[in-house]
Amino acid sequence: MEQTIEQTVRYIYPFTALVGQENMKLALILNAINPKLAGVLIRGEKGTAKSTAVRALATLLPDNQVVAGCPFGCDPEDVAAMCSSCREQLRSGELNKTKHKMRVVELPVSATEDRVVGTLDLEEAIKKGEKRFEPGVLAEANRGILYVDEVNLLDDHIVDVLLDSAAMGVNTVEREGVSFTHPANFMLVGTMNPEEGELRPQLLDRFGLCVQIQGILEPDRRVEVIRRRVAFEEDPARFCAAWEPEQEKLRRQIIAAKKALPHVQVADRMLYLIAEIAIEMGVDGHRADLIMIKAAKTMAALQGREEVGEEDIRATADLALMHRMRRKPFQDLRLDQQKLEEIMGGHSHSHTHNSEHK
Amino acid sequence: MQSNIRYSKRYVYPFTALLGQEKMKKALLLNAVNPRLGGVLIRGEKGTAKSTAVRSLAALLPEITVIAGCPYQCDPFHPEKFCINCRTAYKLETPPLAWRQVQVVDLPVSATEDRVVGSLDFEYAVKQGGRRFEPGLLARANRGILYVDEVNLLDDHLVDLLLDAAALGVNFVEREGISYSHPAEFILVGTMNPEEGELRPQLIDRFGLCVQIEGESDPKTRVEIIKRRESFDQDPLGFLEMWSAEEEKARREIIAACRLLPEVAMDPQLEELVVQICTEALVAGHRADLVMTACARTLAALYGRREVRESDVQEAAEYVLPHRMRQAPPPPQEPEPPEPEEPDEPEDPEEEEEQQEQEQEQQQEQQQSPEMQEEQQEDQDQSPQKAPPQGAPDVVFAVGEPFPVRRISYKVKGILRRGSGRRSRGQTATKTGRYVRSAMRWERQDLAFDATLRAAAPYQKRRRRDRVAVVIESADLREKVREKRVGNFLLFAVDASGSMGAQQRMVEAKGAVLSLLLDAYQKRDRVGMVAFRGEQADVLLPPTNSVERAQKLLQELPVGGRTPLSAGLIKSYEVAKAHLFKDPDIRPLLIIISDGKANVSIGEERPLAEAVRAAEMIKDEERIKSLVVDVESSGFLSFGLARQLAEAMDAEYYKLDDLKADRLVEAVHNTLG
Repeated sequence: MEQTIEQTVRYIYPFTALVGQENMKLALILNAINPKLAGVLIRGEKGTAKSTAVRALATLLPDNQVVAGCPFGCDPEDVAAMCSSCREQLRSGELNKTKHKMRVVELPVSATEDRVVGTLDLEEAIKKGEKRFEPGVLAEANRGILYVDEVNLLDDHIVDVLLDSAAMGVNTVEREGVSFTHPANFMLVGTMNPEEGELRPQLLDRFGLCVQIQGILEPDRRVEVIRRRVAFEEDPARFCAAWEPEQEKLRRQIIAAKKALPHVQVADRMLYLIAEIAIEMGVDGHRADLIMIKAAKTMAALQGREEVGEEDIRATADLALMHRMRRKPFQDLRLDQQKLEEIMGGHSHSHTHNSEHK
Repeated sequence: MQSNIRYSKRYVYPFTALLGQEKMKKALLLNAVNPRLGGVLIRGEKGTAKSTAVRSLAALLPEITVIAGCPYQCDPFHPEKFCINCRTAYKLETPPLAWRQVQVVDLPVSATEDRVVGSLDFEYAVKQGGRRFEPGLLARANRGILYVDEVNLLDDHLVDLLLDAAALGVNFVEREGISYSHPAEFILVGTMNPEEGELRPQLIDRFGLCVQIEGESDPKTRVEIIKRRESFDQDPLGFLEMWSAEEEKARREIIAACRLLPEVAMDPQLEELVVQICTEALVAGHRADLVMTACARTLAALYGRREVRESDVQEAAEYVLPHRMRQAPPPPQEPEPPEPEEPDEPEDPEEEEEQQEQEQEQQQEQQQSPEMQEEQQEDQDQSPQKAPPQGAPDVVFAVGEPFPVRRISYKVKGILRRGSGRRSRGQTATKTGRYVRSAMRWERQDLAFDATLRAAAPYQKRRRRDRVAVVIESADLREKVREKRVGNFLLFAVDASGSMGAQQRMVEAKGAVLSLLLDAYQKRDRVGMVAFRGEQADVLLPPTNSVERAQKLLQELPVGGRTPLSAGLIKSYEVAKAHLFKDPDIRPLLIIISDGKANVSIGEERPLAEAVRAAEMIKDEERIKSLVVDVESSGFLSFGLARQLAEAMDAEYYKLDDLKADRLVEAVHNTLG
């Protein structure tokens, strides 16, 4: 019995074995490299490997250094973002460090608010008559990925709570007799099928990047999808082993990019290009600019470049812009790719088209 | 407090490094200088540093003198405002003094009542067997700033508590066997994105100042914003050090302005100007006059002057009036038809709000009109003028001109108000929704654990306890009171038979549905659609939040064939029932758009008789409300069949023409009343 459980846990369809959906994969990889990109929203029809991709990403994520025993997985190096107990501990001496895989915490659509933000610890209260905070999903997701499948079906009041803590990276709990604050810095990854309703604009904006995906139409690649899936289901161990070299390659790429990221330079010209794109495309606020530059930097790091080039902006701009476009009711969420090209073209004429994006 | 910056709170982006948004910054500074201004409401699109600005303000705030050890930060120089503890303790002696920075206290949107107003100290009660008050957020916020991010998302109930405390400056607590009051004078600072819904007028008026902000449109500024933010993200400590001189300067300016403020004089002529401005702006009440005067004086102090100038008054008006003006201000540049509906519908003060609503609707109308005219023209071009003969091939009609729908409001009675979205908020009968407070009852097995513990706590000393610290008896049980905001469910049953093609009926009917859809879009209602034609009825759109899809389907809906009215009614009934089963809190509203000329039956009965039977079935389900929109053109040869149908269903009855005369509100309102 235990063995089967372990097996199901262990064998996740390898990320690198996913066919197509390059945009989605890129957005997820960029986030794995740079958590400040603040997550991805994956929009698409049913059965387009949305959830598979997110779960598969977990196996690629680098390790986090954490304070041993801390329920929030605090970073021992980052004093500013520590929870209060880690801070106390640090004041009185050294912290015990350990390594942890970056967590992917799933938020079920049916989650109740007390489970999300945390609540009064029932056992402690009854047994000892003491008040203690019992951490919730937001605590668990600190420094990890908070994954919401069908995010558009989430209850309104849960969305409010998410917005509240996503904004500051802190979860403030003032409820059910407890008063507590802890870091809740998570990467929000959501999937949704737009046919079932739109997201609220404010929540939409909290996702750093957004991709729109469609089913694959070429017959050859569809067949490939089936073949791989069948192979995986027949013998997951063998399938995963066969893909392990690819996985390891990508894993190394991510780690290398993570190291290179702080050293990536941006010329002023590129910043102006980004500002111009944001103004011309008519996005709300400044978050699009900030995300665009972060995405371009991360892209450059992934490509092993030391300076952000126009191609990096070209490759990532739509990921940051798509969901931030102003739109009218009943208008579909979409990006005027042609206009984007024109703006980019105005800056330089000698660049190849990136045909990956429609 | 540790002075070492490494151990201090998390790094906050420095206030002085914020670029642009001058009005927002000034409004915050004004409040830092003069707490009497009554706070500020920051309205703006997402991603415009609203929250960042408020949090960074905390670092600049001056220190105040407090009584050492008092949880309410009592002011030692104002004995009349002492809390009960200080009043008894320092009747004769001089209180010990302490200095502390003005606090910014966060009120999260998930807060529950007990933590906001304070409650019984549970630990103390269990261990000592006594009742003691445990201060809540309002206590902490006394003489400080109470900050509500996304203030428009706050629950009604909490808003009421805030209003009460803000109006009196005192928090009265009468709960859980505790009777207590303490000073609660705070500056209310809120941020909101109007896209998410509007604030209640009473709460809006509480905010002394209001600023509306937008993203910067100058590329240079935008680039500078990116640069600063990036360098802060990379090295927060270095960035803070770089800006520490600026911060210090700003801090000194605030302190200097604080000192200068009591000396600032105002010419009586300028006071008259204030009154004149307020009268012209048709502001309700006198708060605006007072705040504007105070604001002008504070501005003068901030500029280092001892007398108020006319320019100060003009400037003050920009902060004080925007949210108070009765005359609709020129609509801010909003890309979408605005969504300024009140998110809620309190039961009593409805009349007060009516006026505001109407203004907002006017605004809405103005903004929508260009679009509508365009569509109207299109319609005239496209739509066939003549009716297709019966049995002709299916025709797709254009969507008729949408008209602004006035607010559909659910007025709900009884203890268990049904949940319903932005139209109104209600308490739910199921175990879903936000837990806002507890009640002394035990009906739904929805345990409010914290409240139950507090109820049991004082008796623990007397109860026999084995192995546990707390013994709970059934009299202690408390239940959660939850509030939920879910959209309503509008189910359209559209007659798509051939007779609907006559005289543009379908075009107008589609226009009517579209208008309701527009309204549903803004309120995040759930919608569904059933169409009936030929031999049967089909569920075109199962209940969904995607109003976009409903609109698309509506556009493509073809017309033709006979009228299986009874099938349409039965299908709609089934859909509504199934949805009720899934979500008992929802109130389906069935909107039947037809001329009532049934000519196909499912069973043995005659079509019309069958339709009436189906209608009676709907009437018998009390939870489903219905409304019939008669599309038959009135005149000589009208049959009035739809009216008969409405009578059988006990539904509201409206003719399409009536609806176009802007009466849809009352239509739906009455239905749900």
